[in-house]
Amino acid sequence: MSGYVGNIVESVTSIFDGMAVTFSHFFRRPYTVQYPDRMPVRVQDTLPYRYRGFLEVDLEICTGCLACERACPIDCILIEVLKDKETKQNLLVRFDIDLAKCMYCGLCSEPCPTGSIHHTREFEGADYSLESMVRRFVLEPTVTYKPKKAGEDDPAIVPILERGMRYVNEFAVPEAAPKAPKKEAAPAAKPAPAAPAAPAAAPEVQS
Amino acid sequence: MRAYLDAIAAGYPTVSPALVYLIGMLAFGALVVFVFILPVAGITSWVERRVWARIQSRIGPNRVGPGGFLQWLADGLKNLLKEDVIPAAVDVPLFRIAPYVVVAGFVAAFVALPFAGSLIIADLNIGILYISAITSLVVIGILMAGWSSNNKWSMLGGIRSATQIICYEIPVGLSIFPVVLLSGTLSMQGIISAQGWAPTSWHMFHSPFLFVSFLLFFVGALAEGNRTPFDLPEADSELVAGFATEYSGMRSLLFFLAEWGNLYVIGVLVSTLFMGGWQVPHFTDNGVVLAVAQFATMFVKAYFWVFVAMWVRATLPRVRVDQFMTLCWKYMVPIGLVNVVGTATMMVVLPQGSIVLRWIMVAMTAAILVQFARRVFFHLRRANYGRLGRISEGAA
Amino acid sequence: MSLELEFADGRDVFATEDMVLNMGPQHPSTHGVLRFIIRADGEVMRSAKADVGYLHRSIEKIAEKVGWHGFMPYTDRVDYVAAMTTNQAWAMAAEVLGGVTVPRRGEYCRVIAAELGRICSHLLAAGAMGMDIGAITPFTHAVRERELINDLLEELCGARLTFNYMRIGGVAWDLPPGFGAKVLRFLDHFEPYVDELDDLLSGNKIYIERLANVAVVSRERAIAYNLVGPNLRASGVKYDIRKHLPYSVYPEFDFEVPIGEGRHGSVGDCWDRYIVRLHEMRQSARILRQAIDGLPEGPVIAKVPRNYKPAAGEVHVHVETPRGDQSWYVVADGTEYPYRVHIRTGSFAAMAMIEELSRGLMIADLVALIASFDIVAPEVDR
Repeated sequence: MSGYVGNIVESVTSIFDGMAVTFSHFFRRPYTVQYPDRMPVRVQDTLPYRYRGFLEVDLEICTGCLACERACPIDCILIEVLKDKETKQNLLVRFDIDLAKCMYCGLCSEPCPTGSIHHTREFEGADYSLESMVRRFVLEPTVTYKPKKAGEDDPAIVPILERGMRYVNEFAVPEAAPKAPKKEAAPAAKPAPAAPAAPAAAPEVQS
Repeated sequence: MRAYLDAIAAGYPTVSPALVYLIGMLAFGALVVFVFILPVAGITSWVERRVWARIQSRIGPNRVGPGGFLQWLADGLKNLLKEDVIPAAVDVPLFRIAPYVVVAGFVAAFVALPFAGSLIIADLNIGILYISAITSLVVIGILMAGWSSNNKWSMLGGIRSATQIICYEIPVGLSIFPVVLLSGTLSMQGIISAQGWAPTSWHMFHSPFLFVSFLLFFVGALAEGNRTPFDLPEADSELVAGFATEYSGMRSLLFFLAEWGNLYVIGVLVSTLFMGGWQVPHFTDNGVVLAVAQFATMFVKAYFWVFVAMWVRATLPRVRVDQFMTLCWKYMVPIGLVNVVGTATMMVVLPQGSIVLRWIMVAMTAAILVQFARRVFFHLRRANYGRLGRISEGAA
Repeated sequence: MSLELEFADGRDVFATEDMVLNMGPQHPSTHGVLRFIIRADGEVMRSAKADVGYLHRSIEKIAEKVGWHGFMPYTDRVDYVAAMTTNQAWAMAAEVLGGVTVPRRGEYCRVIAAELGRICSHLLAAGAMGMDIGAITPFTHAVRERELINDLLEELCGARLTFNYMRIGGVAWDLPPGFGAKVLRFLDHFEPYVDELDDLLSGNKIYIERLANVAVVSRERAIAYNLVGPNLRASGVKYDIRKHLPYSVYPEFDFEVPIGEGRHGSVGDCWDRYIVRLHEMRQSARILRQAIDGLPEGPVIAKVPRNYKPAAGEVHVHVETPRGDQSWYVVADGTEYPYRVHIRTGSFAAMAMIEELSRGLMIADLVALIASFDIVAPEVDR
């Protein structure tokens, strides 16, 4: 009998409390983000810097080293580099990324010495055909970028390289390596304070 | 109703009165269905989605019309335009007719539902009995749908519904008993007239027995409306969609129309039997104003219980079939019997009832509500919500 | 007129036969693409046989073709609900083979990420459990909290589901500035939420009745079937890889291993499996606080060559994922590709047990059973 009454009491009290929990939600704000149209800012602008969206290549600073192509586990990057016999320069004739294949793992942007291949914060890429998902970055053969010993001085390239180096600096610095990992390109970041302190070295901010 | 029709029939002496009655009743029925029942059922669907959404920290439908208010029209229109798929192996006549039986079952209940003192389609002298009988027609429709779908999940849903009705009808009947004893009538208007507008004169607060009766009735009514925690026939996580699995388009929507419409029926029944129905203070002699006030009172009371049903559905998990039977037969039926005997004894001991007891009951209910509010504030205080992360910042 | 008691082919008219129900591969409560062939007598099941393989993506074979570094993103897909721990398992296996030591800060980063992932996974498990029982609200609340963790992890590694955060030798990114404070702020919000979930769901009488004494797994059967993780601990076996085969920096943290106590029924019932996960979330929060407090300085990744070629050998690593002991058996032959990778996952063992447990349960209980084992279909098939 006590079990019988106990069951009733337990049911009533637990349901009572559950109802109080749900009722209290009438006084809380909803969390819904009304993507895409009813947002105070574009959703892309709210994404963190490390967000791995579509890949993009800055051909101005691409060294044609093929590190990204080798790193890609699903071979969605296709690069062709030709040697120009006359000028002794490397020519990029093809740099395709198949975004339909890409799994946005970020392994390609990690070894890039200049931050040329990098993830953007764009992710809306619905399209009608698979072919249109292939991004072709080389429209006409382009001379590959050669890092300069003295630092970059071409005003057209400096901001791009700064952006690239900021991206590269975001990655963790290996234990054995010195603080400035990319000797040949590091001076480029010097003139401007664009490259923030490497996060690896930055102490964790506590509050 | 009959008086109006008599007047009309007197105006057209050449036409047979029976024909006038027929046309008049059909026209009135259509009016009630299209002007009241369909919008109420539809709007209930919108309210339900909004209520759930707020409970779940969401916003809910808010695109069609102001605050998404016209969502129900959009949904209805969309479902009307959709293909009505009839699978190859179903029992076609039964499959087609089942949704109509379900809808007929709940629409027929409106015949005896009071809207206001002068607004009732037919004040049957067996009103409450008629309603509890006719709403069982819904179950026949569900059983038909479940069986004819030729789908095992559907059939399980249909059978569950049949099991369920056997369980809940008896406690519901037993919980209506004390009210009938008190009022001395089965007529809906009679039951309302036996109560007053003040809470102390409501049947609910007559005695502890009536209060428990009221709880039993509400639980039973939830089962009757196939609402969580008793939505066994459609149990979407177990039986896919139960009896409605094979339905599509408007036929599928008709089931849900009946479900949402049934909510309003439940609300009206609870407020009629236990909460004084349309009773308002007699503040004016103008019949129209009084009728509007009564209608509004009834609607608000009924809709309050509709809201509670939604809120319960958003809170509670679903019981299992055998637990539902245990609940009905081992808990609700004995308690219902105690209520009947207790009320009868009360009526012998205190034929006029006790105003002190009524006040005590009201005070007790108020105490429960205060305790509830305290719990709500406790939960609000504990969850230091809303100051976090990108998501809450981005919320409108 | 004689009463015909036999059909023309000699079968008894009154003979009954079991109903064969096909639950899945598309069913609202099978947690991925699972299929159960249920033989049922009305609502009561005679057996529910699991049919696996719908999500097989041959991840183990892929490992032999993409190399040591390149396999990391694939490990996300082994158990996509808790990708961090799977990342960690692969990284650990490769590190042991190559003799790489992870810097201490790297280990801390891993622990922080993995514990956030564990909370994420358990939230989904608890919410889906409520959803399968029929309570719709706890699920959305759990997913709401999960979104907050996803925001944190997105800030950490740029992805919300397939993190690919860890690397052989450490982690790819250091914690972003202010991350620790954000995690602490989240925990301040999260711990009351778990209490609220207790009030809303775990204490609910209907919920308890639905789960208590359902599908009881005794200690012996749990061990015999090789259940792992919360499923094993719910049966009263105190076995947590983080405590008993310690890896990473877990020995430095003070946390408890919750086990099932059978508060509302027998030890090892569905309710115990549910509540163990809830307690584990609290313990994870505890670990997170300690990890953020004691975060050391220094690099987060060791110097590992791009062309990683560990010496020939084999290794068996164990990692405590949200679904229990995930063990990776990796054979290296000294080339830049693993020779063989085998993953032994917790869901697979739990899946095998369902057939035995399902006998005599009702169909509604099967749903609770699947949910209580927290089976994630891709982890079963890989």
